[in-house]
Amino acid sequence: MPAVQETIDQVRRIDVDQYKYGFETLIEMDVAPKGLDETTIRLISAKKNEPEWMLQWRLDAFERWKTMENPSWARLDYPAIDFQDIHYYAAPKSMSGPKSLDEVDPEILRTYEKLGIPLKEQEILAGVLKPQGEHVTEDDDRLPAPSGRVAVDAVFDSVSVATTFRKELEKAGVIFMPISEAIREHPDLVRQYLGTVVPVTDNFFATMNSAVFTDGSFVYVPPGVRCPMELSTYFRINERNTGQFERTLIIADKGSYVSYLEGCTAPQRDENQLHAAVVELIALDDAEIKYSTVQNWYPGDKDGKGGIYNFVTKRGDCRGRNAKISWTQVETGSAITWKYPSCILRGDNSRGEFYSIAVSNGRQQIDSGTKMIHLGKNTSSRIISKGISAGQSNNTYRGQVTANRRATNARNFTQCDSLLIGEECGAHTVPYIEAKNATAQFEHEATTSKISEDQLFYCMQRGIPEEEAVALIVNGFVRDVIQQLPMEFAVEAQKLIGISLEGSVG
Amino acid sequence: MTVHQLRRLTPPEEALIASAESGLAEGDETRRNAIATLRRDGLPHRRIEAWHYTDLRTLVGGTQRGLIGKIIDAVLPTSEPSFLSPLLPGSTVVDLGATATPPASLPAGVAISRSGAMPDWHEVVNHLDRDVDTIRLVGAAFGATATHVSVTANTDVEHAIELRAEPLDNGDRGFAICDVGAGSKAVFVERLSAGAAGALSTGIANLAIGDGAEVLWIIDQEKGERETHLGQLNVTIGKDALFRLFVLNAGGALVRMEVHAETLGEGADIQIRGVNLLRGSQHVDVTTTLNHTVPNTTSTETFRNVVTGGHGVFQGMIKVSKGAQKTDARMACNTLLLSDDGDFSAKPELEIFADDVQCGHGATAGEINADHLFYLMSRGIPLEAARALLVKAFVREVVEEIEHEAAVEALEARIDAWLEQ
Repeated sequence: MPAVQETIDQVRRIDVDQYKYGFETLIEMDVAPKGLDETTIRLISAKKNEPEWMLQWRLDAFERWKTMENPSWARLDYPAIDFQDIHYYAAPKSMSGPKSLDEVDPEILRTYEKLGIPLKEQEILAGVLKPQGEHVTEDDDRLPAPSGRVAVDAVFDSVSVATTFRKELEKAGVIFMPISEAIREHPDLVRQYLGTVVPVTDNFFATMNSAVFTDGSFVYVPPGVRCPMELSTYFRINERNTGQFERTLIIADKGSYVSYLEGCTAPQRDENQLHAAVVELIALDDAEIKYSTVQNWYPGDKDGKGGIYNFVTKRGDCRGRNAKISWTQVETGSAITWKYPSCILRGDNSRGEFYSIAVSNGRQQIDSGTKMIHLGKNTSSRIISKGISAGQSNNTYRGQVTANRRATNARNFTQCDSLLIGEECGAHTVPYIEAKNATAQFEHEATTSKISEDQLFYCMQRGIPEEEAVALIVNGFVRDVIQQLPMEFAVEAQKLIGISLEGSVG
Repeated sequence: MTVHQLRRLTPPEEALIASAESGLAEGDETRRNAIATLRRDGLPHRRIEAWHYTDLRTLVGGTQRGLIGKIIDAVLPTSEPSFLSPLLPGSTVVDLGATATPPASLPAGVAISRSGAMPDWHEVVNHLDRDVDTIRLVGAAFGATATHVSVTANTDVEHAIELRAEPLDNGDRGFAICDVGAGSKAVFVERLSAGAAGALSTGIANLAIGDGAEVLWIIDQEKGERETHLGQLNVTIGKDALFRLFVLNAGGALVRMEVHAETLGEGADIQIRGVNLLRGSQHVDVTTTLNHTVPNTTSTETFRNVVTGGHGVFQGMIKVSKGAQKTDARMACNTLLLSDDGDFSAKPELEIFADDVQCGHGATAGEINADHLFYLMSRGIPLEAARALLVKAFVREVVEEIEHEAAVEALEARIDAWLEQ
């Protein structure tokens, strides 16, 4: 059946011509010359005051990258990227690295205010909070503001401009800082973990990132510590003709817990800009990492002009027993999305989760999904993916679930639904299900009735129609994460999750 | 940046090409071209998406060296003399071999002719999005010749037509072109029986089902334990026509079975059921594409796999074209993994370009349900018997959906023979 009107209206509200974050910040920038060669890499490394081992690591990656080819297996169609026509480093002139908030260029602070990102270390009061700046919208059905506080690392093009609540986090023993700083201040931790989840040679874009990454966040949560607040990084591409190459590394030591959010936006431009990130998560025994993304890069205009090319490698490693990693993503931006946040379930009894909502409009192309690699015993994973295509877009779910020969009692449940709005778009599903252990139980379903029959039954028994019950359950999975998101996103994300599943094509 | 270099062929590829060349006759340009193309492209490998789980380049070598396809301590049912009689009683047996003569008597409305035409590996419809279709190419390189079987309009062919290809030392070369006229009914059996060890066979069939016609097509693949089989069935289904297919894979060392179906008219219905039985170190790959190209068409597809060893693959694709509104397509692939010596990979894909359709796919893999086992055992059935019963029930469920009494009976007998070994 076709999509219901309510859904159509909701998707229309986030159509490509409704992009709200397309403004540009005009400040003086320090920009590296275009092109990718050893000089560029040495320049980046020097700008970051990196130790020699880091430079060598980058150069090795670059050597390897030169032998690799741009992958073509995804259902994406884009002109060849000229990697020599991009600036690999751009930073506001006023700062070479993050300083205290008072020293940050007020223009940059205003930018984040406009985007609704709190960079001030103030307690956000419970209750309705109007976003700062003039971007007040017609949305009246606001969520209650997050009850806790959020520590923010703000990355502006190639540098982190501010990281809040660092002192308070330090008291708890949590390290939260730009990765460029961590390389200098905690080299042992970085060396121990960097590139151990996504190896330098993993894939074309990850290898490139290893050579040229500029900034991103580093998080270390010591054993037994429950991180006292949400951590978040806000990525902003601003400068023309630049690429952003973020690198994030999160380590949750034994028995710790951390929840992390990232947001991304970029100005509205006719050119395509490249964002190639690598995110590595490591959860040791009994640790849990919750990672949420609201990806809202500029998607290009109606005719597919401009927009961010988003090629991202995100992977979590449940390295210890009873470790848990959960990915939540709300994907509405980017002209091209190539992104598969994955979990390696190495520790016995470890658990991986992937919740995704991907909405494509205009001429956007999304090829996204996850991989759940079951290696340990009694590991379990759950995949819930909703793809919504409208306009002339193409939206592909690509997911892999593998049970290794030794993954006794591995469990997976996958549900992916897609919805099309209009006759010009496409929705595709490409699951790879590989069972190599007889005791593994895999279920891949496209029908909504299988989310959890017990939960569904429970709701319906109490008079909630099936449709609403399903929305309620999906909502329940992601609700606590979404509520912690910056206000403006939370409202959108909440709406997207609430989108009726009616008309789902499977 | 990308420079594609001509790849050096692997020894198994060289051996395959040499084998194809050995039978090449003077002036046979189609075949010569096919061999040249095969030499240029080589065999597909896992980085080619349509062959992701079946790397022919290395696997073909494996069967030649006896590395795969060794079926442990099993006597294949193909060695039974009963195999030589048709699967369904009273069938008209048509030999697709190059030197075969058509049967002396044919049912009313059925005509058979032979043409020298070679299968074209550049056909208009290329279901796997590849420039060259590997299976047709290999068939052409080995000089498969076409046998035409036609059923005139409004004919109800009472008995089945069984298609076989005479086994040659380097494999059999079945190539059938079947036309079933509007409003007719027919049953076809594609019988793939054991040939020489180390042989590579190709079996290609093109089936056109006219408006309002009904066809039941049965593939009974029981190749020998050291054989490779590359099979392909291409079907077009007319307005209000019904295509029912049953696939049984119960043999072969390396098997690739492709089914590509396309709806040509509204009301077309596709019903596919299949059972894949694997053991030892067999590699069996079933790859299907169902193309819903016009509005108001339906399809259901269910495969049940029993794996005690080897590698099973199911790649199922449902494509819904722009404008093919009200398509209803359902696909399921259920696997019983009975041993850690076997594995199964499933890739049930959807590609949808219409917004008012219902498409679903499901895939499961696991062992026998412990509750079911407990239920039977608590009623005094010993463990082994209970397991056997549940496995049988698991596959019979789809066999029974064929709705053709004689076919259900015959296929259940073949399946039971396999399960009892």
